[in-house]
Amino acid sequence: MKTLLLCIMVCVESGILSNALAAEDQCFICHESLGSTEAELYKKDIHFKKGISCSGCHGGNSQSEDMDASMSKNAGFKGVMKGDDISLACAKCHSDKEVMKKYGSNLPTDQFEFLQKSVHGKLSTTGKERIVQCITCHNAHGIVTVNNQASPVYPLNAPKTCSKCHSNAVYMRSYNPSLPIDQYEKYLTSYHGILNRKGDSKTAECASCHGSHEILSVKDVNSKVYPINLPATCSHCHSDAEYMKMYKIPTDQFKKYSTSVHGVALLQKHDVGAPACNSCHGNHAATPPGVESISKVCGTCHALNAELFSSSPHKRAFDQQNLPECETCHGNHEIIVASDKLLGVTPEAVCSRCHSNEKNQKGYNAAKFMRVLIDSLTSQEIHSKDLVDQAEQKGMEIAEAKFKLRDINQAKLEARTMVHSFNEAKYKEVVDKGFAVTTFVSTEAQAAVDEFYFRRYGLVVSVLLISLLALSLFLYIKRIEAKK
Amino acid sequence: MNIFKDLYNWVDERVKLEDLIKFLGKKYVPVHRNSVWYYFGGVSLFFFIIQVVTGILLLFYYKGSADLAFESIQFIMSKVQFGWLIRSIHAWSANLFILAVFIHMFSVYFEKSYRNPREMTWVSGMLMFFLALGFGFSGYLLPWNELAFFATKVGSDIAGAIPLIGEPLKIFIRGGEEVTGATLSRLFGFHVALLPGIFTVLLALHLLLVQRQGMSSPLKVEALKESEKKTMPFFPNFLLRDLLLWLIILNVLAFLAVFFPSELGRKADLFASAPAGIKPEWYFLFMFQTLKYIPGHLLIFEGEVVGVLIFMVAGILWLLVPFWDTKSSKGQENRLINYLGLFAVIFIIVLTILGWIS
Repeated sequence: MKTLLLCIMVCVESGILSNALAAEDQCFICHESLGSTEAELYKKDIHFKKGISCSGCHGGNSQSEDMDASMSKNAGFKGVMKGDDISLACAKCHSDKEVMKKYGSNLPTDQFEFLQKSVHGKLSTTGKERIVQCITCHNAHGIVTVNNQASPVYPLNAPKTCSKCHSNAVYMRSYNPSLPIDQYEKYLTSYHGILNRKGDSKTAECASCHGSHEILSVKDVNSKVYPINLPATCSHCHSDAEYMKMYKIPTDQFKKYSTSVHGVALLQKHDVGAPACNSCHGNHAATPPGVESISKVCGTCHALNAELFSSSPHKRAFDQQNLPECETCHGNHEIIVASDKLLGVTPEAVCSRCHSNEKNQKGYNAAKFMRVLIDSLTSQEIHSKDLVDQAEQKGMEIAEAKFKLRDINQAKLEARTMVHSFNEAKYKEVVDKGFAVTTFVSTEAQAAVDEFYFRRYGLVVSVLLISLLALSLFLYIKRIEAKK
Repeated sequence: MNIFKDLYNWVDERVKLEDLIKFLGKKYVPVHRNSVWYYFGGVSLFFFIIQVVTGILLLFYYKGSADLAFESIQFIMSKVQFGWLIRSIHAWSANLFILAVFIHMFSVYFEKSYRNPREMTWVSGMLMFFLALGFGFSGYLLPWNELAFFATKVGSDIAGAIPLIGEPLKIFIRGGEEVTGATLSRLFGFHVALLPGIFTVLLALHLLLVQRQGMSSPLKVEALKESEKKTMPFFPNFLLRDLLLWLIILNVLAFLAVFFPSELGRKADLFASAPAGIKPEWYFLFMFQTLKYIPGHLLIFEGEVVGVLIFMVAGILWLLVPFWDTKSSKGQENRLINYLGLFAVIFIIVLTILGWIS
């Protein structure tokens, strides 16, 4: 008995059994004898190896030698399928857990469901079928497993497979004219693409970021590449120390990014305008920006800061020392909210990293001066707010002064931008605008507080006067009534 | 002092002031245990005078357009010398004016002072009472703030529920389909020109009638013998007492204006949703609350329409009370009038409190 079982297992393993079954498959026998390409391809197909006959997909009676009987409609013959019938034929088995189990497969059975919901599952231009069928990516008769290097969806082949449609301008404009068609070109220039071309199947390809059957539009909030979801998608590989071991790069970028000003804005506040990984690194052409291009990359959003920096004395100094411009002071993934503490000569100030009383003294003095200015403005702002609060609590009408408080904040924001010029005069000009506002607000608020007390004292005086008059009148009435 | 005497003589030569003083000197006010209610007529008059004076002062700075109204009040409250005081006194005096008018009206009602021959005095007083409510409604929108905007919307909606004339009346009040800047201009016009004009004519008539006919005595006092009736000269005794009360009220007004200045709130936004808890001014609250309690439909009629109709009929009956209460005119006690009045007072107080706390 054991010997028989062993024989069967060996037979299955070597494909003898499948060949034996094929020998019974009259469709295959006939089409092979006719030199059919499909039959040739099917010999390498995983389904052929699992013993599935042509009739498994095309219907009909594969046991019958009579062509009319085997290809009759009564026998369920479907012939060459078109449109959605193709995917439905695949789904007949691939969406059925029991059938898949019978063939010893542990593939998920929800691919067809996902495909239908995906951007590829929308109706094509004909309106009769979905855009993509299973065979669009997996081929028809030579289907092999995704781990097989011959598979069009094998990681090294997937970019090329996707590009068949996505790099075809004529085809793509029928569906989404605004979608670029250079993703594949860009991908080839990215680190991912370079490694992929070198045969590294671990590196990210299209499906790694976009998914396979479940691909959604980037505008769909459930898409893996929707801005809020993108950092988690990248971190799927980049935060996996074991997976990234061979690339020798840090794996804490996502952790740092999550607590950064950008990460908090995107992931916690759901501000989709905040930068995700691709905003700085690019998406299909993903690669870390070089030292020389960091200010340009940051400058795409922080334009004024970048421009002021480029015309500042720091530009030349940074270039000479080959320092990454923005990153030197602000960091990269862990960029925190830029507060006034970054400025000045205190230990936590970034200026003091290069400037001291002994070394680069000019910059040291400028940083010290600018910090004193902005600290004074903050102090004045607190004083003004306090006075406005006092006046408001006393029920005084102080709306105009309260509204003006915003201008102080505006001056501080401008000062934080102007600091990138590292020019004391320009910086002072902006901060002075803030001082002018604090003076106005404080004067108005103080006047309102004084007015409050004036009203109280005025009331006491007027009540006394009116009461005195009333008392006099009362006494007069008493007098004239007493006379009578 | 000679200057004043000379001036008096100069005027007296021309308009015979002596006759007027003689007339006033002959005028007496009845004195009895309910005499205190007589003062509320004078108090109402005092509040009206304050309203006119402070209103004119506010007019110097107020701008009656949707773009500028709120800002002009803001300017009055923060920049104009004593602007805050004038506006706060105007707002407080407006409320106390209506309260005084309510008290005056009910005191006259319970004393049946409306009876023959004072029917015209009652009707002119009632018409002024309705105008006072109109002053309140039209003045409430003028700051063009959020609360005023939505309260006017609700108030004019209620006016729109009146059968037949409701919809045209609503459009007339609003100056269009919706409450907009046109409503503000319109109500501003009502508040400072139309209503004061009519009110002044009615007030002149009312005061003339009071002077001509004298103060009414309660039925029980009137039934007394002439020798048992107590009186007080109108001039100077009653008038000086009036003045004394006015001075006390002035003190109260100053206190309220300083410690509880009129708030401005947020500027009206035509596209904003109504804030929670929108309520009309307290003197409309009892009607507003009643309409809330009436079911959506009563038989084949809309509940709100029925409610508005009931208030209208009640108001007309109240206005015409001297004409259907013939018993009082004959000097007979009419208990029904007392019960109706008592019911009205309790109804107004209870519904106002319920509206306030809801």
